[in-house]
Amino acid sequence: MSTISLQDTHHHDNHDDHSHGHHHETFLTKYIFSQDHKMIAKQFLITGIIMAVIAMVLSILFRLQLAWPDQSFPLLETFLGKWAEGGRIRPDFYLALVTIHGTIMVFFVLTAGLSGTFSNLLIPLQIGARDMASPFLNMLSYWFFFTACVIMMGSFFVQTGPASAGWTIYPPLSSIPKAIPGSGLGMTLWLVSMVLFVASSLMGGINYVSTVLNMRTKGMDLWKMPLTIWAFFLTAILGILSFPVLVAGVVLLVFDRSAGTSFYLSDIVIGTEILPNEGGSPILWQHLFWFLGHPEVYIVIMPALGISSEVISVNSRKPIFGYHAMIYSLIGITILSFIVWGHHMFVTGMNPLLGGVFMITTLIIAVPSAVKTFNYLATLWRGNIRFTPAMLFAIGLVSFFISGGLTGIFLGNASLDINLHDTYFVVAHFHLVMGSAAIFGMLAGVYHWFPKMFGKMMSAKLGYLHFWLTFICAYLVFFPLHFLGLDGVPRRYYAFTEFEFMQKWLTVNVFVTWAAIIAALAQVAFLWNFFYSIFRGKKAPQNPWEANTLEWTTPVEHLHGNWPGEIPTVHRWPYDYSKPGAEHDFIPQTVPFSETMSSNLPHDFEGNTEAEEIQKAWDVKNKPVQDAE
Amino acid sequence: MVHTMQQEDLKQDLKFDAKPKKFVVWLFVVSSTIMFGGWTSYYIVFAASKGKGHGLVLPDAFMYSTVVLLLSSVCLFLASKALRNENRSQQRMFLWITLALGVVFGYLQFQGWTSLYTTGAALINNNAAISMIYILSGFHLLHIIGGLCFILSSVYSSYKQVSQEKAVYRQEITSIFWHFIDILWIYLYVFLLLNS
Repeated sequence: MSTISLQDTHHHDNHDDHSHGHHHETFLTKYIFSQDHKMIAKQFLITGIIMAVIAMVLSILFRLQLAWPDQSFPLLETFLGKWAEGGRIRPDFYLALVTIHGTIMVFFVLTAGLSGTFSNLLIPLQIGARDMASPFLNMLSYWFFFTACVIMMGSFFVQTGPASAGWTIYPPLSSIPKAIPGSGLGMTLWLVSMVLFVASSLMGGINYVSTVLNMRTKGMDLWKMPLTIWAFFLTAILGILSFPVLVAGVVLLVFDRSAGTSFYLSDIVIGTEILPNEGGSPILWQHLFWFLGHPEVYIVIMPALGISSEVISVNSRKPIFGYHAMIYSLIGITILSFIVWGHHMFVTGMNPLLGGVFMITTLIIAVPSAVKTFNYLATLWRGNIRFTPAMLFAIGLVSFFISGGLTGIFLGNASLDINLHDTYFVVAHFHLVMGSAAIFGMLAGVYHWFPKMFGKMMSAKLGYLHFWLTFICAYLVFFPLHFLGLDGVPRRYYAFTEFEFMQKWLTVNVFVTWAAIIAALAQVAFLWNFFYSIFRGKKAPQNPWEANTLEWTTPVEHLHGNWPGEIPTVHRWPYDYSKPGAEHDFIPQTVPFSETMSSNLPHDFEGNTEAEEIQKAWDVKNKPVQDAE
Repeated sequence: MVHTMQQEDLKQDLKFDAKPKKFVVWLFVVSSTIMFGGWTSYYIVFAASKGKGHGLVLPDAFMYSTVVLLLSSVCLFLASKALRNENRSQQRMFLWITLALGVVFGYLQFQGWTSLYTTGAALINNNAAISMIYILSGFHLLHIIGGLCFILSSVYSSYKQVSQEKAVYRQEITSIFWHFIDILWIYLYVFLLLNS
């Protein structure tokens, strides 16, 4: 295998305009400025994992504060210095922690880490392409992302600290440097980092869409694509259509902060000083932000849903239930997600009629989501289930998607939301339905495609340990928060001891924090498993999960161009598992119907009468007559 | 032997394919349109809620710049036509004219801003609609600079002996982008005229 790969990389470059320098692959072109989609996928994954660990540590820090607001942890001062004077986290640093935790998790981990990894890895491999439409743009996408990460982390090292206006950075808090320390240089860095991030996402998304539409192999029509590809494709479309609006909003915010314009500012008094800005409206920021922000949560969850469709089908040894329904519901979610953003703004003084419209669209989006959920359950139903770690995480996703999705129906109702808005109920809702579900989808993907990425197997035992601890602790962390929210406890408050009605929740906070700490420790099992297996894992077979999709037809040893010879042709959909009459319980997409005469069904031929005739003739000759009665 | 056959396949597959790359440019056009859509919808909502727009008579320079930009598009069209007839020197000439007109456009935009500024409609303004004129025209000008880079890449390939296939590809993506920013400016200009 390796000789083939070497020779191939030598040859093709004379013809590819963009991959200069690959003639003698150096460390720099192979691992750093790589244009190979598989390497870029790994870069996204490992950067994403590092960012996730950082975000997790931040969350543990503010959980400590919530559980023991009066206690001193001298160790914190050692590490954080003036941000934790006397071993207690300062209020403005607490706000910075929640802000950066949210930003990292939503954008850097669950958008770039998830889409960046799996779209890059799987789109070319599963549709049968040599690489992305523009490998150069793809490389640029990663390096913009990396720079965005560095700048975001850099904001921890400036005098005034990182941005602390919440991940939604509502003005005027975010737009007046004097409002809180975090709105100084930290906010500027946040904005710069996000612009780079959006540029990275757009470059990635544009590439994914172009690749899916233009570079599928022979026979791979849109309705033979795996659901993963459908999900990545629609996610990329969502990104292309919504991220530019965030840039538009951010640009105006930058001008408000740095030039003195009044896009979002009006009638502000700080202390005794009246600011000159007049005529703007902070509500307009919310419109622009949530026009991205709501599609963003689907950008986060849809790839995870796509991954679990694939993982659940493979490991149930059953075709996915309702393949077309799955696609139509993804399309439905994509379209609807653009007309629901107002449900984040029910309490901004919105016209109740308009609120009603947003409420209806929000409740309608529950329909395609429920279709997907039922299809997962129906796929599992009476399946020949193999409980691999990937499968467990995919099932975990379904569980979180249900338990978190149900509370979405509460929050989507304007009249209920007025009560629940900005309470811990919201925190509980989105951490289950978007946070935990998407992370579980991502982890399912990592366990499932690790053999494809690194040619090694991860330890299943550590995987089970990781799954059960994480799954149980995630529920223990987020489920109690619903009740805080129902009691009216607002999010982002620094110390529960300051308010009498919140004091009774202190013990719950202690419990939640312990659960969070255990969940965090459980991730060590994953990190060890991941990095150890890269180097010392068992060597992976070519098709470890006996799956049908194209990526498992490539050699274990990676090569630029993916397939050593011709790209395989696709003859069937990707979900022919346990087909009655077939020799094995899986039939890869590359197997033509002429080789599986005993298991072909009439609808396989899609109205091709000639093929139907041949099949009928074969059936008469070979199948014992038994339907006579 | 097996190896060489496989290499032939790979060579075939990795041959320069312009279609997906052109599609990338189209998608960029879409996302850029949406960014400007975000700003113009800000403007509409702002104007509707405050009951006022920018309330200005737009400077004449913007009118002239519109004409210049239209002319540049015509020239770029002629350059494409020349390339189709495999007349590289004619293509080069039209590309240089397009480039020059693009620079003139930029100059006229600066003139427009100056005259706005001197009449008291500065960027830093308590009427966000006026600030928005600067944002829209400013970010459009950034696109023009990007467009000039595209034109330069076409000029470059008209000097070098690149294959017709590749030259056509570069000319095509230049055209997609330049005509797009032309239409975009007309949209923005008309938008600002109608929503004063």
